Amino acid sequence: MSNDIQNKVEELVNYIMKKCLWQFHSRTWDRKRQNDNILGMTAQLIYGGDVKPATPEEKCYWADAVCLADAFRNRFGWLADMDRADKEALMTGLKERIDFLTVTGSLNLELTDVHY
Amino acid sequence: MPYHLFKCSQCIPEREKHAVIKGVGEDISMALPLGYLNTIPGTISERGCAYCGAKHVIGTPMKDVIHLSHGPVGCTYDTWQTKRYISDNNNFQLKYTFASDMKEKHIVFGAEQLLKKNILDAFAAFPDIKRMTIYQTCASALIGDDINALADEIMEENPDVDIFVCNSPGFGGPSQSGGHHKINIAWINQKVGTVNPSIDADYVINYVGEYNIQGDQEVMMDYFKRMGIYVLATFTGNGSYDDLRAMHKAHLNVLECARSAEYICNELRVRYGIPRMDIDGFGFEPLSASLRKVGLFFGIEERALTIIEEENARWQPELDWYKARLMHKKVCLWPGGSKLWHWANAIHEEMGVDVVSVYTKFGHQGDMEKGISRCEEGALAVDDPNELEGLEAMETLQPDIIFTGKRPGEVAKKIRVPYLNAHAYHNGPWKGFEGWVRFARDMYNGIYSPIHQLSLLDISQDEIPTDKGFVTNRMLSDADLSDEVRNDPNLRPYTGNYDCVSPLRNKVYPEFPRKEKEVSVA
Repeated sequence: MSNDIQNKVEELVNYIMKKCLWQFHSRTWDRKRQNDNILGMTAQLIYGGDVKPATPEEKCYWADAVCLADAFRNRFGWLADMDRADKEALMTGLKERIDFLTVTGSLNLELTDVHY
Repeated sequence: MPYHLFKCSQCIPEREKHAVIKGVGEDISMALPLGYLNTIPGTISERGCAYCGAKHVIGTPMKDVIHLSHGPVGCTYDTWQTKRYISDNNNFQLKYTFASDMKEKHIVFGAEQLLKKNILDAFAAFPDIKRMTIYQTCASALIGDDINALADEIMEENPDVDIFVCNSPGFGGPSQSGGHHKINIAWINQKVGTVNPSIDADYVINYVGEYNIQGDQEVMMDYFKRMGIYVLATFTGNGSYDDLRAMHKAHLNVLECARSAEYICNELRVRYGIPRMDIDGFGFEPLSASLRKVGLFFGIEERALTIIEEENARWQPELDWYKARLMHKKVCLWPGGSKLWHWANAIHEEMGVDVVSVYTKFGHQGDMEKGISRCEEGALAVDDPNELEGLEAMETLQPDIIFTGKRPGEVAKKIRVPYLNAHAYHNGPWKGFEGWVRFARDMYNGIYSPIHQLSLLDISQDEIPTDKGFVTNRMLSDADLSDEVRNDPNLRPYTGNYDCVSPLRNKVYPEFPRKEKEVSVA
């Protein structure tokens, strides 16, 4: 990943960590599910695709994804100038970084507790 | 992100892993304070107990219930004089508090018969109230009284009453958070699914982790009603016992305080398939995003956008008036659990203050992950602080104001630092658009209080100026402002009413056309 994309990833990470709550559910499996679904749908929206949630659970992820994609577009003007390949690199990098901060690199000792 | 050992805690070296300073470019993968652990012997914690967390935080805000503690009368201390979770039924749950009044002889000979008499007496004294919660305490837990069996017996003898038993003695966890957990799980195990009302509404939510502090819940209900959303149950502020038994009938759980109530949301998702949506009722931007998300979920986004536009137009000029006067004031954000992350970024961006420290009395590491992520570099984050650490932090950081509970708040006042009550508020509600302005006003009045300025002088040793008259908070706050800001015609201080909650109780809401029902084709 180029330095430029990496810096942009950090801007998006900073936005999510300061403004969102969905990435901090209480257990590892919750966080993975949240990250996979919300960031997956956000990526589709950023690429210009359409997401059609079918179940209540999917609608919940989609609502967060729509707000996140809009916030990215409104706050980060450079997003509009990126081509599809760069956007994919950006969103892949974002997903890896959020997974690291909230799951694989998290120091939260409660994440693996088997009970809620 | 280095761990931080306070000088006053050098004799308790285990405390080092409970505090960090957020350095430049550092993140939560580098260091995270320990959390939700037993308080270390030798440090005087500011925490409450697990009984307190179950009863005084989560159970008692339920409004149409006799709340009875099975224990010494002192366990019921926290009520109308310390708690501010109001209700729209004349505050029944705050005005009346019940205890079985266990004494030494009951510890020796048992207290079940005493409890039974108390239960029957309480129902007889309030014949209109048919619901009761009973809270185990340390004393009744240690002697092993079987409260559940007794409750079953009474419900069998009196079919018109329903009783919930919460077994969360004071020693049942490291802090009040242990009690939050226990009552969440006890409620879903014992009560959810035991009534099945017929609900005639298109959009049905449970509003979870909301305790109606000075009317917060009623402010949020106003927004939901304006969107045409039916709030089936609120867990638990201003909530009704029987509504909460029907939580399994909602389409969506909207979760506010994840620290105290995520457990029941997670269980409702697993057991009943109801999704969990985390929202944030504090701050214009977070609240706007939250209303929009709920609107998106139900396909009624435009209703949310209308409210957001109206409320921003009404209140933004007033929030900005305070922001201009609060800019770069230093704040220690020292609440119990969730408010460190609800507020850390929103007060910085929307009120202009700098959060120099966050702490949590009973939060878990997840709360610290959120809180540290949301505050700026240089902030000191502390888990389960003791009083001396609080004093040392204030002496080091020199905050202009702190937001905390009434006990550490009074300590702060002694060293001439003003405080706002982060748990029960000063002049709340603080949720909602108007509420957020009221919070900014309280902050402004705390920092610029002329009385506070006078308290900085020690009449026993300081020279008291005799050539200056009394000043107003406006004279203090505007002294260093530019003329452009001071006279900005677009800004104004708070213009709302003293009581912004009561009028909501009689408000008439628009009726929205019903959603067309899907017709199944044979």
